Order: sequence, then C-alpha cells, then structure tokens
Amino acid sequence: ELSRMGLSEIVNSLLLSAEPDHQAQPFDFIVDGELVRMPLHQFLLAKGISAERVLELEYIKAVAPRKQEPPLPHDDWVSAVDGSNPSFILTGCYDGLARIWKDAAECTQVLEGHSGAITSASFINKGVETDGSLHVVTGSKDRSLRLFKFDTSVTIGSSKRIGAYKILPGHTSSIQSIAVDPSRNMICSASWDTTIKLWAVEGSEEDSDTVSVKKRRMNSDASGPEESQLEGSASSTLLGHTQCVSSVAWPEQRTIYSASWDHSVRQWDAQTGRETWNMFCGKALNCLDCGGEGSSLIAAGGSDPVLRVWDPRKPGTTAPIFQFSSHSSWISACKWHPSSWFHLISSSFDGKVMLWDLRTAWPLASVDSHKDKVTFSICGLPFAYFWGK
Amino acid sequence: WGAPMEKTRPRSPPAGRTPPTSPPTTRRGATAPGPRTTTTTRHRCRSRTVARALAPTPTPTAWRRRMMPRRKRATPPRTRLRRGTPSGTCRSSGTRTRSTSVTTSQRGRSRSGTGRAESTASSAAKITMMTGTRLKIWDDYNAEEVKITKEEAKIISRMMKGKTPHANVDPYPDYVDWFEYADKGHPLSNAPEPKRRFVPSKWEQKKVVKLVRAIRKGWIKFDKPKDEPNYYLLWGDDTDTADNKRQGLSYIPAPKPNLPGHEESYNPSVEYIPTQEEIDNYQLMYEEDRPKFIPRRFESLRSVPAYEKALREGFDRCLDLYLCPRTRKKRINIDPESLKPKLPSKKDLRPYPRTCYLEFKGHGGPVTSLSVEATGQWIASGSSDGTIRVWEVETGRCLKVFNVGADVHHISWNPSPERPILAAIVGRDLLLLNAEVGDEETQVRTKELLHVGEPTPEDDGDKKPAVRWVNNDKFDGITLIHHRAASTVEWHSKGDYFTTVVPTGESRAVLLHQLSKKHSHHPFRKLPGLPVAAVFHPTQKMFFVATKKFVQVYDLQKAEVVKKLESGLREISSISIHPGGDNVIVGSKDGKLCWFDTDLSTRPYKMLKNHSKDITSVTFHRRYPLFASSSEDCTAHVFHGMVYADLNQNPLIVPLEILRGHLSSDRRGVLDCKFHPRQPWLFTAGADSMIRLYCD
Repeated sequence: ELSRMGLSEIVNSLLLSAEPDHQAQPFDFIVDGELVRMPLHQFLLAKGISAERVLELEYIKAVAPRKQEPPLPHDDWVSAVDGSNPSFILTGCYDGLARIWKDAAECTQVLEGHSGAITSASFINKGVETDGSLHVVTGSKDRSLRLFKFDTSVTIGSSKRIGAYKILPGHTSSIQSIAVDPSRNMICSASWDTTIKLWAVEGSEEDSDTVSVKKRRMNSDASGPEESQLEGSASSTLLGHTQCVSSVAWPEQRTIYSASWDHSVRQWDAQTGRETWNMFCGKALNCLDCGGEGSSLIAAGGSDPVLRVWDPRKPGTTAPIFQFSSHSSWISACKWHPSSWFHLISSSFDGKVMLWDLRTAWPLASVDSHKDKVTFSICGLPFAYFWGK
Repeated sequence: WGAPMEKTRPRSPPAGRTPPTSPPTTRRGATAPGPRTTTTTRHRCRSRTVARALAPTPTPTAWRRRMMPRRKRATPPRTRLRRGTPSGTCRSSGTRTRSTSVTTSQRGRSRSGTGRAESTASSAAKITMMTGTRLKIWDDYNAEEVKITKEEAKIISRMMKGKTPHANVDPYPDYVDWFEYADKGHPLSNAPEPKRRFVPSKWEQKKVVKLVRAIRKGWIKFDKPKDEPNYYLLWGDDTDTADNKRQGLSYIPAPKPNLPGHEESYNPSVEYIPTQEEIDNYQLMYEEDRPKFIPRRFESLRSVPAYEKALREGFDRCLDLYLCPRTRKKRINIDPESLKPKLPSKKDLRPYPRTCYLEFKGHGGPVTSLSVEATGQWIASGSSDGTIRVWEVETGRCLKVFNVGADVHHISWNPSPERPILAAIVGRDLLLLNAEVGDEETQVRTKELLHVGEPTPEDDGDKKPAVRWVNNDKFDGITLIHHRAASTVEWHSKGDYFTTVVPTGESRAVLLHQLSKKHSHHPFRKLPGLPVAAVFHPTQKMFFVATKKFVQVYDLQKAEVVKKLESGLREISSISIHPGGDNVIVGSKDGKLCWFDTDLSTRPYKMLKNHSKDITSVTFHRRYPLFASSSEDCTAHVFHGMVYADLNQNPLIVPLEILRGHLSSDRRGVLDCKFHPRQPWLFTAGADSMIRLYCD
C-alpha cells in the first residue's frame, strides 16, 4: 500500500542518511513520464504495468501552492495582475486605476488616467532599469493603452498617483489583452474590434501630429495630470480575426499568437504582419498562453470548462494533445509557469484557480478562496494570483 | 310363344272349334317339333323323379292352364270343359315309373292288383291280357314293390314304341295363325294413337327443370374433378403453416416438445441424477431458471408414481381454453421507432446552447426583457424593479444602471453598432436612452441624435396626437409619450426606424417612428384584432404585425397587405422573423409554437406543442440555424431550424435542448430569451430576477 506519502518518507529517510541536515519534504514521483497520483498498486493496475517488472521511479520536488498572503484589497473587480517583477506586483482594476504593490504588501503607486475599466496590465521591463524607474503598460475598455513610468525608490506609506506619459489610442473598441515582446520594445494589443495592433514603446514622440493632439488634450482636460502626455500610433495592424480578439501572447520575437471569439487561434509573423498558421477549435476562446518546451505549446481556455493544450508543430490535426476538465465554468485565464515546462495555472468563473501538470490529468492544487469569479490570473515566479470582487 | 297367345285370348276362335284335336294348319311342318316334344311329356307323373327326368317345358297348353284362374271370366266355360278332359285322363292314369323298371323281373307283376284294370282303357288292358301276368317291379329306392297297372303298362308300351304316352294326345295339331293380317284390312289395334304420345311428359319436364336449376346453382359441375394426388410428403412437418393456411385458419402450431433423453428414463444412469447439493441450489434459482424436470431413479417402471402435476396442468389447460380470446385480434406490429421521423443526431447539429455558465445577477425584480447589442459585447435588460441595466457579456459585470422609476416592459437595442441607443417601454411610454458604450465620436453623434428640437405644434384638430417626442433631461434621452400604453418596441435593421405597438390604440395601434427626423405616423388603420407585436422584415421593406390570431404581412412601399397568416392559436404572444425573411415563428399563450413558411402557405408549416405554459418569447439566431422559445414553465427550448436555399426542400426542425435553471417566481418563469448575435449562446431573463447565459 505504497502511496506518495510512503514513497516520500522512503526518499526522505534515504536522503537523511546521506546528508544529516536534510529537511523532510514531500516529493512527487514519475513513472514512464506520468505523475503518480494514487497508491502505487492502483497506478500499476490502471496503467497495466506488470508487478514483476522493475519499476523506475523518478522523484521530483512536489509543487505545492504557497501559503496565502494577506489579500490586497481593491475597491472594485481586479481585472489584471502581473507579478513578473520580483519586487512589485501590478494590478489593474475595474475602477480605471492600476496599482503597484511593493513586496505584495503595500500599494506604493496608483496609476490613473483611464476612463474605463482596465482589462490588462503588464510590466514592460522586468528588471529595474538603470535610471531606477519601471515602465508599465495598461489596456482599458476606454479603447486606449497607456504607458506609465514610475520610480522604484519610493518610500513606503504613501501611495503616489501617477499619470501616463504616453497614450496609445487607435482601437475602436475595448482592449482585451496586451502582450510585450521578449525584447521589450514592442507591445501588441488585442481588441474587441477584431484587430491586433503593434505599438512601439519608444520613438515617434517628436512627431508633430502627436504633439498637437497632446496640446488639445491638455487644453480640454483641465483636471488632467500636469506631466506632458504623448500620443503614439500603431506601427502595424494585424487583420484576420472576425470577432473579438480576446487574448494575445508573444512568446518569441517573430511570432504572436492570438485567440479569438471566432473560435480560432492564429499565429502571426510580427515582422511582416501576416498570418502564418491558424486553427479552429469550435469554442469561443477567452485566454491563451504559450509555454512548455521551447514555448511551443499553446494552452487556451474558452466558453467551456475545459483547458486545452495544442501543439502547433503537429501537422494535420487540430485535436488538442491535453485536456484538463476539472473546472465547472468558463476558463477566464491561463498561464504557463515561466520556468517549468510542465506546469500551468488556470482560473475559472467558478471561483477556482487550478494548478496543472502536463504529466497528469488531475490538478496538482486547487485554490478556491475567491468568493466570485476569478477574472484574470497571471502567474509569475511565486505563483501570484488575483481575483475579482 | 306365350305373348301372342295372351293377346289372342279375347279373340278366341269361334265356338265349336276344338284346337287341340283338330287344328287344320298349313304350317304344321314348320312349327311341329317344339309342341310335339312337349306334348309327349305333358302328363303329370306321380313319381317326382320321373317328372324331373322328363323335365317338361311349359307347353302353351300347360301355361294356359296355369293362367286359368285369372282368366276365368274371359274364358268361356265350354273351353274349360274341353280342357278338363285330357287333364283328368292324365290323373287317372298316373304311373310309377322307375329307372330300373326295364330291367325288373317279372315277379312283381304277378302280385300287382288286377282291380285297376277294370277302369282302364282298352289298349293297355290288351297288353296285360296278352302277357297274362301282372307286372310287379321292385323299387330299390323306396324299398317296395310297385304294381304296374294296365294303364301304366300301356304308357310304357307306347313309350317303348316311340309314341306319345297317351293315346288322346295329338302331337301334331294344326297351326292356327292368329296374327295373320294380310287379308284382314286392319292392324292389330285400331285405336288411334293417344295424345300423350305426342305431348311432352310433365314429369320429365319437372325433372329437367330440376336439373337445369341444379346446373345453374352450380350443384352439378361438369368440370372433371381434379385428380387428387394420392401421395403425400412423408417427412413433412405438420407445423408447416403454409400448408395449413389453405384451411382459412390461422394455424398456430404448438411448439414441438424436445425428444426425451436419457435423463427422462425411469431408471437413468447415475450421472444424470443430481446430487442433493444441486437440488438445494435449484431452490435458490429463479422460478423460470429452475430445471423443469429433475431425473429420479426407480426400481421398476411399476413403481413410477403418477404424474404429480397432472391435475394442475389440466386445470391450467382448461383455464387457457377458457380465457383464450374468442375473436381474432388483428394487431399491427410496427416498431415505434420506425414511426419517428428521421432526424439528424444532435451531435451533428452542434453548436447549440446547452449549459449555463454565466449568471447576471443584480436586478431586484423579475427581468421582463433583454436585448443584446449588435456586436454581442453588451446586453441590456429591463426589470420590474424600475431599472435598466447594461451588462458586459464577457464577465457578467453590470456596467450601468438606469433608474427609470417605472416598470420596464420591453427593451430593444439599436441594431446599428454606430448608434448605441436603447429603446425601452417604461411605464406606458417609450424611452430612448444613450447606452454610453461607444467611442467619443459615436457618443457625440448619439447625443446629437437624441435631442429633439423645438416641438412643432402639429394641430391634429380635436384629437390628441398619437405620439409626442419630448426630451428627457434626466437621461439625456427622448421620451415618446403615447396616447395609450405601449407594449413593445422593435427596431428596423438599419437602426433609424422603429415601431411601437399600442394594443388598445384601435386605429392608431401600430406606430412607425423615424429617429433621425423625430417623426411618427400610424399607417395601419385596420387590424384584424388586438395587435400584440410588430416586427420589420430583416432585409426587405416589409412589416409583420401579429394580432391575437393572425399575422399580417404588409408591404411598406405599396402600403398594402401582402399576406395574412392564420395561426389557429388561441392568443399569439410573440413573433420572430428568420434572418432570411421567409420564415416566421410565432409563440402563443397556450404553449404552442408555430412555424410559418410564408412561401409555402398561410397555414403553419409545423406546430410544436412543447411548453406546458405560456410562451413568452420566441427568437431566431441570426447566424446559426437555431431558434428558441421561452416559457412561463421556467424552461427555454432550443431547436435546430434549418432553412434551405432550395425552395423544394422544407425547413428542417429538430428539437435540441431544454434549458432549465430559472426558478419560478410568482408563477412566472422565463420572461424573455435572446440569442447572442455571433455565438451560439442564449440569454434568458427570468422572473427570479436573474439573467442566464447558456453556452455550447
């Protein structure tokens, strides 16, 4: 009756005999590339492995959710979160404000300016820049993107309000998703108006047109921030989707993936702006992320409770290679682990966040501390997550 | 010989003529031999043996004598007298002759009596006298001595001489030709031929009539009877019903019993006998699985007991006979599955709404109506709690709340994406609202559009105007004040025209409004009943008005009725037009849904009785071949409704799904349902103040 716990004890005792200062910890075990999630004899029966055989067990550290930190209170639904920066967490809220949280405890900056709910937010540069400031982009339902810049050396205790230094208008409908390219120079945004637009982070500030627009805006909006605002225009537009583009991902320099409510996942060439691959899955898709080995697998969830993983390298088929179906409502967001090939996390309208491993069909962990729908989740290094309401 | 004699009897010869004695005849020679031989033996002998030996054939005379008593009267007495003479002679001269008489000795003769000789004739006496001795003959047969009289002796002597025995008999009488007609001049009978000889026989005719009748009736058949083969199939099965069908009976053969095996022997081998354990196991089995026969062993056939179930089975058999139906019931054996129409599988008709994943909560009262924005990003709902809410479809978040302060009966989103305008029936009037969801330019245009200039005082005479356009300052919208309470509002697909229905408005019941010109008019004066709803044709300039029983189709350009669809329903509650425009569905308050194919007929193409309570709303999907109906019984039904471009092919209607989930509140269920314009999703508005989104 060996279960995971028993096996872990064996491994721990073995390790303890090798190193006297070893701390006991839980392990996961892999047989033939599959995680053992039940007692060993049941697993052997289920897989049809003969008990006569020599069984090779590979042990890895068990992935367990961290302890829940004290929640960061918001006034309204939290719609976006980015925890990719080691010291800051960026959240977007339905009240039109983005917030910077230092060390997941205190709100240091409030990024204001959007007139509609923020739908997505992202750090542009992950590390602290040389001049000690961080760049942040937010997309909103008011059809615009805003770029913010804030100083990282801010004293704790005062939440400073910061306005955007650059506005990127151009979409005709609400922005659904934002992705930043790996070189941190380009932003792509997906919108309800069926287009994906690419924006350059730097440059074109000296454009005379944008200046004039800026002036007019400054004049008309008297209560606006005093800092100078610039306007940029899209460097290119990717046309092809027929309905709302709900999610974009930019895993490599040249390729952009997008998911849409027209049931398709498309791959775009970022340089030429042409569509290079597409796939139809029969469901309206809400979220998409690329990850896995070489960032080549696509995980997407949509208007059904199944999280699917496709391999675009597989020719001639649109069947998903993995399906995870423990949720009970729409999948609202999904994210691959930034460093692990096997782990991904998904959130659903049923209020649960689930951690998945590609090597087993059961969720590794499920977090259901949210009261209502989990609208957006982004997993960074410490598996941070945020929720609505 | 006899017959002519008979006939001639009445015509007997004239008196005085004695035929036997003196018949002078010309044909004597020709007819002589027969009578002659007979006449020789004509006498009657006392000895039977002699009479037999002589074997006389009846002569005419003897025959005649035998006939005598019958002909007594006809015969003259004289004739009798004459005949009596020879017969009397014959009797008196009876002799006893023996076969041995010739060889007999003379000793018997001497003993015979002489007394008899006195009365005998002269010639015989002479012989006796001549011999001088009395002849006596020993009769061996009777063992006695017979005396021969003189007469007998005479006869014997005559016979020995070859003469006739009696001297009085003339062996050759003359032939009398009684039938000689040649010179008579008359036939035998002069009587005329009787009439009956010429008249067809009555009895014969009756017989013929009977035969004819029998032939006509078919009792007599002239066909040759078929040759029945006198062979039969020796190994044939009597269960062969084909053979028994000729009897006209529905012959059901009894099932053939199995042939008995070894185990049914009275003394089977030991291996057939079940052990006690097996017998106990039989008790645990079901009655029908239990073996019917358990083999047992008996010492001898004599010790086999009577069949213990005989009485029971006899009773069962009688009961079967008693209870068996006396009439033949003709039952049609049809597989009920084959009666169902062949419908495609539900799997092939995906996608269609199946499961509820999103709930839009927030209203404080029954949600009476909802409407989806043209792009499908937002929905608007109106409730009895006096609010209009705008929701985000993607997340289920309530974006805006308009507190209009009165019951919202119907709400409709402008189908043009450039005009985010909501039209809602609030209280008794129509309210046009800016939903404030577009970009700045759109907002500006919408604000301009939703502003009524100086109301020009139109003098309608003494009549109250049907509609007045008034600015609504509270919501920056327009209120259209109707003369009576309006019930529904529908937009034209271009988003400029809209229509409101005022059920009690009589001649001004259906109103057409133009948003850009802020103008209203009421072109439909006459309606067949109270109007319920009015819809624009999706592509053409047509207009549908649903009254309680009918659906009128108007041509807006020609301003005339094109069609009148007769629903046959009790009361129409809602109507929806297929995006193609040729098909109309109508929901009724008795839970029925009618599909009209306007090209086909003005009668319903299909009538679906699917709901148990009132249908509140019916709707078509704009892209997918789907339609849905919602009802007060807390369910919404989703159907596949495929309309083919080929006019010869009828629309295909397949029921797909019953969507449940809404709770009944105040005996009201689902109050409205609308499809998402682009996804196969269905929104339902319930009386439990909830909006549900059903996804595929």
